[in-house]
Amino acid sequence: MLTLITGGSKCGRSALGERLLDGFRGEKYYIATMQPYGAEAGAAIARHRAMRAGKGFTTVEQYTDLGALTLPPGCAVLLECTGNLTANEIFLAGCKAPAEKITQAVAALAATADTLVVIHSEVGADGMTYAPETALYIREMAQLGRNLAQMASTVAECIYGIPIVHKGVLPCF
Amino acid sequence: MTVLTGAAYSGKTDYCRAAFSPPTILDGAVCSPEEALRASCIAQFQVLIRRILAENADPVAFTEQLIHENPGCIILLDEIGCGIIPLDREERRWREMTGRCGCLLTAFADTVIRLCCGIPSALKGELP
Repeated sequence: MLTLITGGSKCGRSALGERLLDGFRGEKYYIATMQPYGAEAGAAIARHRAMRAGKGFTTVEQYTDLGALTLPPGCAVLLECTGNLTANEIFLAGCKAPAEKITQAVAALAATADTLVVIHSEVGADGMTYAPETALYIREMAQLGRNLAQMASTVAECIYGIPIVHKGVLPCF
Repeated sequence: MTVLTGAAYSGKTDYCRAAFSPPTILDGAVCSPEEALRASCIAQFQVLIRRILAENADPVAFTEQLIHENPGCIILLDEIGCGIIPLDREERRWREMTGRCGCLLTAFADTVIRLCCGIPSALKGELP
């Protein structure tokens, strides 16, 4: 079962994702995708670690190539987030079609896991004209969001912690 | 009139084709304002507004004329106002005009649909 949570940055998507897995009794994995470069990334990672503390997640770091990750069948997974993963694929790995690559990896993960929650970001609503690589990032992020929404049984957009459900139902609301 | 909005690449064009089957979808990035006045569907309306501004014409007056002369049109309009307000005066003016024209269009439209990751939600009226 795949749930996609989208929205702007810092809007409470992670907390919502974690809450969705609160009641899960099996093994829970958290896939971290942010490279710990610089004080700001360090602080963001520390804050998210504190949020997850005591919630029973095993943290797995995967910055690129999500498809290489194997997790035990029947587990619950929180993948955070497609924004980092897509940026890492483009800017670290030089991938030109990350949406397709990540879609396939998420599909494989969803087939193994009992419950998969993917945190996604809306990055295409600021009207700015960007350099080609950033424009590619925005296009690929949108493509990935559409792919995952189609695959997902539940899609919610988060606004300051409040979910707007676009597809399916959120079990705890 | 129907307005389809949402972020860039949120799936407006695909949804428009599937739900409304317009005979043609005119591209606001290349069409003339005169062509738009007769079109069944205009995509990238925010780019058309930018081009009208570049010609020192008034996009609000154009939008009012469009509503008057082409009231059945389907308009695809990106949400563009969710970032930092730009320092550049012309960029600010484009955002302001896009906002005003968008509000005029949605006030007149009987149906307004927003796409999120390809999924439509009716903000006004009902999904077809």
